[in-house]
Formats: sequence, structure tokens, C-alpha cells
Amino acid sequence: MTDCVGSAYEDRVVVVTGSSRGVGFSIANHFLAHGAQVIGLSTASCSIESNNYTHYAVRIDESDQVLAVFRGIRKRFGAVDILINNAAVLTSQHAMIMPVSSAQDMINVNFMGAFLVAKECAKLMKKKKWGRIVNISSMAVSLEPVGDSVYAGCKAALTTISNVMAKELSAINVTCNTLGISAIKSDMLAQLPEEKIDAVIASLPIPRYANFEDISNVIDFFVSEKSSYVTAQTIYLGGVS
Amino acid sequence: MSKKDAILEVIYEAIADLNDDKSEDEKVAATMDAILFGPESGLDSLDLVSLIVDVEGGASDLLDKSVSLSDDNAMDQDPVPFTSVASMLDYIMGLADEK
Repeated sequence: MTDCVGSAYEDRVVVVTGSSRGVGFSIANHFLAHGAQVIGLSTASCSIESNNYTHYAVRIDESDQVLAVFRGIRKRFGAVDILINNAAVLTSQHAMIMPVSSAQDMINVNFMGAFLVAKECAKLMKKKKWGRIVNISSMAVSLEPVGDSVYAGCKAALTTISNVMAKELSAINVTCNTLGISAIKSDMLAQLPEEKIDAVIASLPIPRYANFEDISNVIDFFVSEKSSYVTAQTIYLGGVS
Repeated sequence: MSKKDAILEVIYEAIADLNDDKSEDEKVAATMDAILFGPESGLDSLDLVSLIVDVEGGASDLLDKSVSLSDDNAMDQDPVPFTSVASMLDYIMGLADEK
């Protein structure tokens, strides 16, 4: 059960994709702990137990499933205030031996899935003429590590989606920003060779792993009421630029 | 209220919401023959997107199924469904009658 430690997000409806584990799980719990109604989307079931948490098992890269889920969200919640577009899959492999199916999965989930969810959330933000969209990106966009051609490409595209949507949605007071997270110990990172990650970490201006508070700090900034003049921005953690 | 009237009400409500932010001379007529898209329409692109989103949402709630006026099927129509109030109504009625 998530303990409530504050009310900063009371009355806010927050959609978090990829909420069943890793960073998304922590983000969902962060908003719950501060009073939000959280809607989690992921392919897997979720262990979060809270009266303020609603989970939808959905493939975000399947438009019919996304439409059905958002029809349900519209009926039950009426509007959405905040979207944290976090869900992603990663296969790190040299381009010449990258399985096409893995590359396609990354494009489908990390790019199309993020777009489909942002598209439907924006419609539900329009009702209140207020909203915050935060797309979770990666230091891979800037560092362009070997093996991450498709992953980094998808995350770079996510920044572009975010910046264009920032223009399109400014008329309804919806901001769109991107958070490029550095390495955080998670299931996704565990797929990669430790020595590769350690080498990347050592090259950062702040040479340590990110922790969840580093991430939630920037998310809190982006979604704040006071950040209404902050849009189409990307913040990287750890000094990545 | 008939299904046709209920759908028309959804469209007119969306037009009313759009008109809330407009001056008198910019308001869109809530009539069957109102032109929404093309050279004869007074709507800018953001107005049209806003109207389409509101009608899609309202019609989806009403019919309890996803209604899109801008998916591949809709865009294959001639005229496209959001050309006028009448064409919107016809297209949504067609979707409503689909099994």
C-alpha cells in the first residue's frame, strides 16, 4: 500500500505508462504518495495497491487497445491532467546483427506507443484547457552509445514529437517537455553489460547512477502549476548535454 | 430523442463550446448546412481540430464505441466527414448503424 506523504497532486489525474516496474512503477508511487489519482498503463499487471490507482493492461502500440482504454478513462475520470510517457523497450545490439523484430518493437512502443498515448491524453486535457506531458527520454540520445542506434533514434524522435506537440497544444495550456534520464538501476538496465554501463557512468560530469529522486525532482518541476511557461524543453540528468 | 437528434445535439454542443471563445462575427452557425472545412469555412485549423475532437468524444460516449472522423476510413470519404454539419451527421449515423 502506498503511503500518502503529501497533497501536492490532490485532484490531479495522472497517466503513467510502463507503470508495472522500474522507473514507471516509482513514478506512479510518487504521484500516489502526493495525493493524485493515478492511471497506470502497461502490458503486465501491476502490484500497486491503492484506492487511487487504476491499472489498464494494454499494448500502447496497438491503436485499437489504446482507444478502448481511453474511452474507459474518459468515462470514469472525465479528464487527464498529467501524462508521464515512460514505457519503453530496449534491445542493445550492433546494427548489423540487430533482429528486425527487436528494432520494430522499439519503434512501435518507444515511438508510436508514446505518440498514441500522448494523442489521446491531449484530447482529455483539452476539456480542462490545462495539462502537462512529460516524455521520458534517455541519455542515449546525446551519448549515442554503440548498440543503441534504434533505441537512441526512437528517443530522439520522442523529443521531436514533444516539441511539435508543445506548439500544437500551447493554445490549450498544455506543456510538453522531455526528461533524458541517465543510468538508473532497473530491469531495463540489467539487460546491458555492467562494464558498458560503468564506462558510460564514468564519462558523465557527475559520475554516478541516477536515483529516483533525481528523476522525480525534474518531473515535479515540469508538471508544476508554476511551469506554465516551460515547454518544448529537454533536461538531461547527470550533466549529459 | 432519436439517435439522429442525439448525434446532432453532440455536434451542436461542440459548436457551442467553440463559439464560447469567439466574437459574434466569428461564431459558427449551429445549423445543418454549416460549412466546417474548405474555402467556404470560416474555421482555422485549430478550430477545426478542436471541433473534431469534441464531436469524436461526445459521439463515442453516446454510442459507446470509438468514433473517429479523421481515421483512414473517414479520410477516404468524399467529402470528408468534417466538411459540414450534415456530412458529420451522416458519417456518424453510418458508424452508429455498423454492427
